[in-house]
Amino acid sequence: MAVFTAEVFQNEFLPQGGTDVHAIVTLTSSGAGAAATAQGGVAEIIMVDTSGSMSGRNLDAAKHAAQVAVDQIADGTWFAIVGGSHVAQRVFPYPNAVRDMVQMEPGARFEAKRAIATLLPSGGTAMSTWLALADRLFATVPQAPQRHAILLTDGKNESEPRAALSAVVRNVTGHFQCDARGVGANWQVDELREISTALLGTVDLIANPDDIAADFRDLVQRSMSRGIADAELRVWAPQGAQVLFVRQVAPTVEDLTSRRSEVNPLTSAYPTGSWGDESRDYHVAVRVGSKPVGSEQLAARVQIAVGGEVLASGLVKARWSDDDSLTARISPEVAHYTGQAELASAIQEGLAAKAVGDEATATVKLGRAVQLAQETGNDEATSRLKRVVEIDDPEQGTVRLKRHTDKLDEMALDTASTKTTRVRK
Amino acid sequence: MVTGPATTAAPTAACERCGGVLHPDDRFCEGCGARVPGASEQGTAGSAARGTAVPGMAAQELAAPPSSAKLADPDDDRDADAPAATGAPRRCRACGGTVAADGYCEQCGEPAASERDHWSDSPAPWVGGVCDRGVRHARNEDAMALAASGSFAALVVCDGVSTAPDSDAASLAAVAAALDVLVSGGPEGAERAAGSSAARTAAFSGLLARAAVAGNDAVVASMREGVGPDHAPSCTFVAAVVDDDLLVAGWLGDSRVYWLPDDGPAQQLTADDSWAGELMSRGVPREAAEASPQAHAITRWLGPDAEDVTARTTATVLDGPGWVLVCSDGLWNYCSRAEDLAPLLRGFAAAVDGDPARVAAELVGWANAQGGRDNVTVALARVPAPRTPAAGGTAPPSAEAADQGDDRPEHLVDDEITTPVRRVSEPAGSDSLGSTRPTKD
Repeated sequence: MAVFTAEVFQNEFLPQGGTDVHAIVTLTSSGAGAAATAQGGVAEIIMVDTSGSMSGRNLDAAKHAAQVAVDQIADGTWFAIVGGSHVAQRVFPYPNAVRDMVQMEPGARFEAKRAIATLLPSGGTAMSTWLALADRLFATVPQAPQRHAILLTDGKNESEPRAALSAVVRNVTGHFQCDARGVGANWQVDELREISTALLGTVDLIANPDDIAADFRDLVQRSMSRGIADAELRVWAPQGAQVLFVRQVAPTVEDLTSRRSEVNPLTSAYPTGSWGDESRDYHVAVRVGSKPVGSEQLAARVQIAVGGEVLASGLVKARWSDDDSLTARISPEVAHYTGQAELASAIQEGLAAKAVGDEATATVKLGRAVQLAQETGNDEATSRLKRVVEIDDPEQGTVRLKRHTDKLDEMALDTASTKTTRVRK
Repeated sequence: MVTGPATTAAPTAACERCGGVLHPDDRFCEGCGARVPGASEQGTAGSAARGTAVPGMAAQELAAPPSSAKLADPDDDRDADAPAATGAPRRCRACGGTVAADGYCEQCGEPAASERDHWSDSPAPWVGGVCDRGVRHARNEDAMALAASGSFAALVVCDGVSTAPDSDAASLAAVAAALDVLVSGGPEGAERAAGSSAARTAAFSGLLARAAVAGNDAVVASMREGVGPDHAPSCTFVAAVVDDDLLVAGWLGDSRVYWLPDDGPAQQLTADDSWAGELMSRGVPREAAEASPQAHAITRWLGPDAEDVTARTTATVLDGPGWVLVCSDGLWNYCSRAEDLAPLLRGFAAAVDGDPARVAAELVGWANAQGGRDNVTVALARVPAPRTPAAGGTAPPSAEAADQGDDRPEHLVDDEITTPVRRVSEPAGSDSLGSTRPTKD
């Protein structure tokens, strides 16, 4: 059985009249074990773009990668392969097979790889159809609570309006997790990010098709190593209090506030998907009624629950004091992740402004991003920013947009924008 | 609430008014003071008997609620008091909700009161007290120990000095040790004080002096290893012994004893060992003295660094019904003059049927409503004690006696009561201001 621990980092002291309590809660799981593949509790679907644009090196690399991934799927795992263009097609089990998904075993592995090899490029791109098919296939294996998919594309979702994709993403949210990968420079970061964010996965850029196989291997291995199928973050706040936001801040920034569901009138739940042995940080902000100096109150219980059972609980407290030396302090963890969250949005907003030709806004936003990356010690972000802007003064955030930038560099900066660094201890 | 080990382990019911947890022999809710309906005669006798237990027993029981583990690490109070330990959910003192295992209310997030933070005791229907953390302080460094048997009662209050860590443990150790000494002069004690008022006065004055020394020894013994002289725990000491018509008080520091008769002038019997007290003894008016910057700096105390632990004592022959009030500065900070305290107390007494524990709870609540800047302890004895049927020293058999409050007939009119006598013995050098403690706030 997995063991969770919760650690709270905060300054619990509030000045007289203070109401807002911020805390970083680190949740760490250990002993998660491997996913319950042998019991048939795990399902995996690989979606490969087979649109016309993929023809040539991209599709060859994608087919190879899908075959590598099939090799990594453990025996007993329910699986299927989906080929996607402007329509989606089940590649394996073969379209004429009775079963929508089969359990992995050596014969199925061999046949699946052969089926992948026959993929031919044609048609457009409508990713909503891919997700809808995956959802239908997963629905046939209700015995598998842990469901994971990989989506690979090389192009824009051009065969349907964006709203169609958004609608399907909303429909399938909570049914399975999905990591989205874009190969080359012709896909849209925001489209894949919409999918991966809603489906509790990651988005990444694979610049070189030759790297797809290694990435798929990692993704499947990570999925197979997640022994906790589904965990939810719970936040209790006292009667009359208001949860201002709940945000995952490490390993990536994901705002969870809008994904709230109610456990009871005082407790909200936020999905976190499956867990292996890992550690995630959450930033919780709660507004409580002010109390007299000297009072103490619990501002939040931040808990992780699996199967309805709370496995760890972190206590966020509020204590009112008239001692300025106590109340003026800002928790370094809160400050760090507040900066990292702002860094992510500054990068995304800056690149979006640049894309529509609003250079003034882009310069300001990316300048702020440079400043925040410097302040929070996010050297990776700094080096990615350097490929897009000339940095005159990192402390002041003074930058100039580069005249000629590689599209891939901008996309790399965009996809990695939500990756955070941990607090330097 | 002070109860024996068996009763702390098994809270059984909830208060109808506030939802607070009731222990089997509780007659009043510790949270709101509401009377427990159907509290049995047996329960009443049982709790009264606690006060008449063999000397030493009372002290052990008093030490029970904040257990030795808590004394060692007061920050762990909440964990130790969690429902897992007691087997029943506790009620939130703020909203009546359930206190979760993590020590906070499930509804409003209010921290659960630890038993060290707030408790009340009533060893006999005419004796009761409440010790409370107050509003502003993080810990309750006050401590209180009460015992009663027949018409004898001993009330001890110690106020730990906040500037020294572990003063909460020190004050609790001191009251227990001091009470132990005082009950030896009670009806079941080995050194039963008897005879004329003068003889008993001498005997109780001696016991009070020894009680202070015993309290001091307990403070010293409570010190953790490795605590430097700058962090020596320390506390004030005040005790009142009521024996029929005789009241003898002893003290070091600025915790006080008042005599608030129903008729006649109210009196503060103790004189603070404090900078303010020193100023007043030199003729500075009370208001000015108590408002001076160092007013709360006490000049004498219990603790390893105390230079002199000789308690000053004073004796009074009580010539009618009234209230003996023993309190820490958490109360008198808001109402120092005896003539102001008397009507305040009478008002509360009228509202709660004259039950001492409830009157004490009202006074503590009042002090907290004024700001609660310090820990608050109020211990009360309503005299005369209800006449006991036999000389065996058992307490009155029913709670009805207490209910009668001020309406009780004044049946305790002893032959030897004459005019009020007041005698104060001053230890040598008590007026010295050789050293002072920093202010306690």
